[in-house]
Amino acid sequence: MRLPDSVAGFLQTDFLSQFRPFCFLVDSDFRLIECWGDGSWCGLEQVGKGADLRGAAPFLVGMDLGVEQKLEFVQAPGLAVAHLYLVPKGDRCYVILLDASAEHGMLQEKQQSMNELRLLHARQQKLIERQRELISELVETRSELDNLRREAERVSANKGRFIAMMSHEFRTPLASILNYSELALDSAATSNDVQKSIETITRSARHLTSLVEAVLDDATLDAGHVQLVQQDFDIRGLLENVAAMMAPLAAEKGLSFATFVDPDLPSQLHADDVRLRQVLINLLSNAVKFTIDGGVKLTATYNEGRLVVSVSDTGPGISVDDQERVFQAFERGDGQGSPGAGLGLTITLRLVELMGGEVSLDSMPGEGCTVSVHVPVAQAAGESREPVEILPTPSQDSIATKPLSILICDDDEDMVALVEHYLHRSGYGLITSSGSAEAIDKTLKFDPDLVLMDCNVPGVGGVVAARVLRERGYEKPIVALTASKLDDDEKSVFTKFFRKPAPMQDLLNEIKRLTH
Amino acid sequence: MIALTSKVCVVGDFAVGKTSVVERFVNNQFSEKYLSTVGVKIDTKEIEFPDRNMAQKLVIWDVAGSDRFGNTEFVYLRGASGYIFVADGTRPMTLGSVDSLREQITEQYGATPAVLLVNKRDLVGDWEVGEERLQQLRESYSDVFLTSAKSGDDVERAIQRLAEKIIERDLQEA
Repeated sequence: MRLPDSVAGFLQTDFLSQFRPFCFLVDSDFRLIECWGDGSWCGLEQVGKGADLRGAAPFLVGMDLGVEQKLEFVQAPGLAVAHLYLVPKGDRCYVILLDASAEHGMLQEKQQSMNELRLLHARQQKLIERQRELISELVETRSELDNLRREAERVSANKGRFIAMMSHEFRTPLASILNYSELALDSAATSNDVQKSIETITRSARHLTSLVEAVLDDATLDAGHVQLVQQDFDIRGLLENVAAMMAPLAAEKGLSFATFVDPDLPSQLHADDVRLRQVLINLLSNAVKFTIDGGVKLTATYNEGRLVVSVSDTGPGISVDDQERVFQAFERGDGQGSPGAGLGLTITLRLVELMGGEVSLDSMPGEGCTVSVHVPVAQAAGESREPVEILPTPSQDSIATKPLSILICDDDEDMVALVEHYLHRSGYGLITSSGSAEAIDKTLKFDPDLVLMDCNVPGVGGVVAARVLRERGYEKPIVALTASKLDDDEKSVFTKFFRKPAPMQDLLNEIKRLTH
Repeated sequence: MIALTSKVCVVGDFAVGKTSVVERFVNNQFSEKYLSTVGVKIDTKEIEFPDRNMAQKLVIWDVAGSDRFGNTEFVYLRGASGYIFVADGTRPMTLGSVDSLREQITEQYGATPAVLLVNKRDLVGDWEVGEERLQQLRESYSDVFLTSAKSGDDVERAIQRLAEKIIERDLQEA
């Protein structure tokens, strides 16, 4: 449909005045052939015919004149912003330029605003991200500060407890040493007074020494100065030695003391035996210290390169809330009135961790406590799994299933050692006496679950001692274990009679029958 | 002296400093004011290579910023002998735009000599392109320059390198 001439004329006039078209015809080498229109606004009005236009119109460099093209908003030196059209005609090409300055101005303003908004948005996002990071860092710093504050408070509390402990634990034996020294030096003191004073001073000094050692041990561990000394050692010997040390202390309190050793436990291990021994003594001392009735049990097993030693007691137990606290320095759970530096479990934990192991605690208030030490320990080189034992281990049937104490009365040290060996391994706590008077005293005082009596002992002898015990109300079994020959009347005093050398397994079976 | 004329296109995302890079190279000037480019701005500069006895006139097409080309922009690139890719070191996402544009160009016009300018290195506090990312870029673009249109650092060296690459390619093709 053709527009009316007047309308077409109007539009043509308007278009020409707005876009000021300039058109030129070039050959394939960009040489000017002819031009039309107003070239003043695009700096091309001076170009002469036959000249290479690429110098005055660099936008033609690289152009393919054989392809129809439209390039919008082209801005070049000496050229106002233009729309550029290439219209090929044979081996020539029309190049048309339309003034796009006005359109460019409006579009540039819009695009500028849009890009600035996008930049602002990107910066805002970056700031939000940074803000998040800062908040996160702040929370982390706050948490670290809280931890540091709690640690500082704990250290401060420990320091306070340490001073309180020093004040109480150290002053008491020091006061005792001072007072008894004065008593011993008193001109009116008898030789008996002096003897007793020196005994008390010695005891107090030993106690002070153990406190100082504990504090120094803790400080050395704290400073990371403890180095483990690994060597081959006899684990069974170590356990026996520790048990032999602690059993009398348990017996003095009327507690049973039992040791269970896994038959698979190798006899030789490779570790720091001195530190392991220290750990066991700490655990057993605590168990004996805090247990009033019942007994203490030491169990040792070995599996896949890990030694597990557990110490169980029938003491007051430790509440769940206190279980973590008791491993901290100068803490004693509920037993704040008990003697000691409150460092035993702290030192134990640190030593075990130094060995690469762990300590676990299983306890409920009123139900005793079991502390287990798990440490990776290698077997000694060339170690045989076959345990080497001079004396056989008692059979499982004869092992005590509840805490029990037995008083042995015998003046033959070898015999006591032998019976002790079997009774310890069978789980019994032991009280020893070497004479009849001592046996009567200890039996009435500690009320053991059974008395094992030799008849030929210093004093009134075993038979009379047994009669005295019956007369004074001791009703539990009294078993004779003697080399002496007794008549029926003498035998009737005893619950059971064994003639030395009695088969130990029979004796253990009978003891279990009588006490269970 | 042999005189050559080559068309090179400057491409990259918006506001990465393309126009500022060209302004620094052609007129040794810099303006803090951001002015968005609409369409394309064409400028020229001649570089001499006395050791080769050559002079190369670069016709530089500064194409409006974009993270992806449409048909309109592709027409601007027709006949280009080389590309100056520009990204902003304070906006790592503009490196992704450059990757995308290069992929489009290669697909449309095949492999062409190019250099990558990671611009705005004067903004040290806001810089976000780490050494690891730069190493990846060097492996991908072979010629990577950390530039500052504001201070002029490495702008001339980068464009001169592109001019050398174009000459080498032209000589090879000849």
